[in-house]
Amino acid sequence: MSGNTISYPIIRPLGEDSVLVEFEAKVNIEINRKARRLVHGLEQADLPGLKMAIPAYRSVSVYFDPFITTASQIIRAVETISTDLSQQEELPARLFRLPTVYGGQHGPDLDRVADVTGLATNEVIDICSTIRLPVFFLGFICSQAYLGGVPEVIQIPRHDSPRPLVPGGSFGIAGAQANILAVDSPSGLSYLGRTFVKVFNPSAFPPTAFRPGDQVQCPAVNEDQALAAGKKGMEEFIEPL
Amino acid sequence: MSHFELLNPGFLTTYQDLGRPDMLKFALPHCGAMDETSLRLANLLVGNPESAAALETTAMGLTVKALDQALIAVTGADLGLELNGKSAPMCTVLQLEVGDVVRFKGKKKGLRSYLAVAGGFDAPVILGSRSVYLRGGMGAALKKGDLIQSLLLENQAPQAGRSLTDDFQPTLDLMAPIRVLPGPQIDYFTRKGQETFTKSVYCISPISDRQGCRTEGPSIERARGPDIITDPIPLGSIQVPGDGLPIILLKDAQVTGGYAKIGLVARVDLDRVGQLSPGDKIRFKLIRREEALELLKNQVQLLAEAREALGALSGAEKG
Repeated sequence: MSGNTISYPIIRPLGEDSVLVEFEAKVNIEINRKARRLVHGLEQADLPGLKMAIPAYRSVSVYFDPFITTASQIIRAVETISTDLSQQEELPARLFRLPTVYGGQHGPDLDRVADVTGLATNEVIDICSTIRLPVFFLGFICSQAYLGGVPEVIQIPRHDSPRPLVPGGSFGIAGAQANILAVDSPSGLSYLGRTFVKVFNPSAFPPTAFRPGDQVQCPAVNEDQALAAGKKGMEEFIEPL
Repeated sequence: MSHFELLNPGFLTTYQDLGRPDMLKFALPHCGAMDETSLRLANLLVGNPESAAALETTAMGLTVKALDQALIAVTGADLGLELNGKSAPMCTVLQLEVGDVVRFKGKKKGLRSYLAVAGGFDAPVILGSRSVYLRGGMGAALKKGDLIQSLLLENQAPQAGRSLTDDFQPTLDLMAPIRVLPGPQIDYFTRKGQETFTKSVYCISPISDRQGCRTEGPSIERARGPDIITDPIPLGSIQVPGDGLPIILLKDAQVTGGYAKIGLVARVDLDRVGQLSPGDKIRFKLIRREEALELLKNQVQLLAEAREALGALSGAEKG
């Protein structure tokens, strides 16, 4: 590959029934936007045999029925749509403002983040309350939203060893990445607070209201307010952008 | 409707159906029967839609008592099926009378058996499926004393005693190589590493479950670090973390992850991987996509023939 530049996207069949499309290997919202635009374009294209197109940070998996269509047909469709992704639309982004209680038992790493960054805990909370974190994609298990866009002033490395169990709804950061845990999980992120709004509800459809491209904000409230907010569905916290 | 009392759940028994493949968009694991063909055949035998929920039981010990008359069939692994203490045939419709006890005495071949009842088991539907997904809090493993029941059979009840001929029973050849297609990061491994992967014997590790099979064996040499930008994990992906040992990701696996994937199990062999037990020895064999598709086509065709032989009323159901 010496001397040659790789031309993106890289498109290739994966297994019997999917095609993997990879954009530049970076965690970057503009590259992620290409993935989301490709997904939207494929969904609008009404291709026979196309089952699903699913974005990740910088890639798209396109699943198809191999008894109806072929990988080459899907690859051609991807190539056509990818020639000008700037022309493709994307789903309109929404802003979720999820009331969050910071520190104490709900945010066991708040003091550590303040220590490492040299900020006062109040300053950390203020920053976290105001930043808007984009949803790159849904992954792992149970509709886990992968958030990014954490500003450098509060960036902190992952824990050397993950906490064995962090409750669902906990809001954590590591590097530029962040999450609100969909379900109780082990995790190596630093957890600053918790929202009681259910971001994953298996008895509802869809089980999460987050869509790739949305933005999330975690405004600070007291514990009672956070608990009260948890009685409402997550759709009630959507605000137009 | 039939009722049963669970006298012993055995090692692990859960309701499983065809899972939640359509929920991938919401990052839900596939879920569902680890050996899907066996689930489909058990359902077909008792006159159910192939998508009905059955009991997936693991290794040994499940013991249920019929509280009503019931028609059942057991497929998949040979776990020493017994009816009232006597060996009973698999892949056969069994008529249970009140008080009859069905027991899985212990593992002979394979790991997971499917017990289907006419009507299908009445388990809660969560996100379109009755499959229990423990890590996601969807349903729970069955426990001693549970009372479980079937739904009403909508099709005509099958004849007790009818069975699947050997032609339609999946061959549980656990020694045959696991056929794989190249993974998206196969070039993260050196040529030597790729040879280690396809030429070595790997042993299924005790740390294996519905999420996946870990293996023990020679470490696969890599050309660069194990980490990638978090990416999709298709069903059957074989990822290789820092220790160089392949992990096959199965029905309850996470749908995205950050380890390089050297291969993907060919669809046709996924059921067989679902029957592997800790200690089993396996090999991987790379095949071409065209061959994998041909094999898959044959598997679909065989199932269609079984469906026809059993006079299934409902047409082909796509998994």
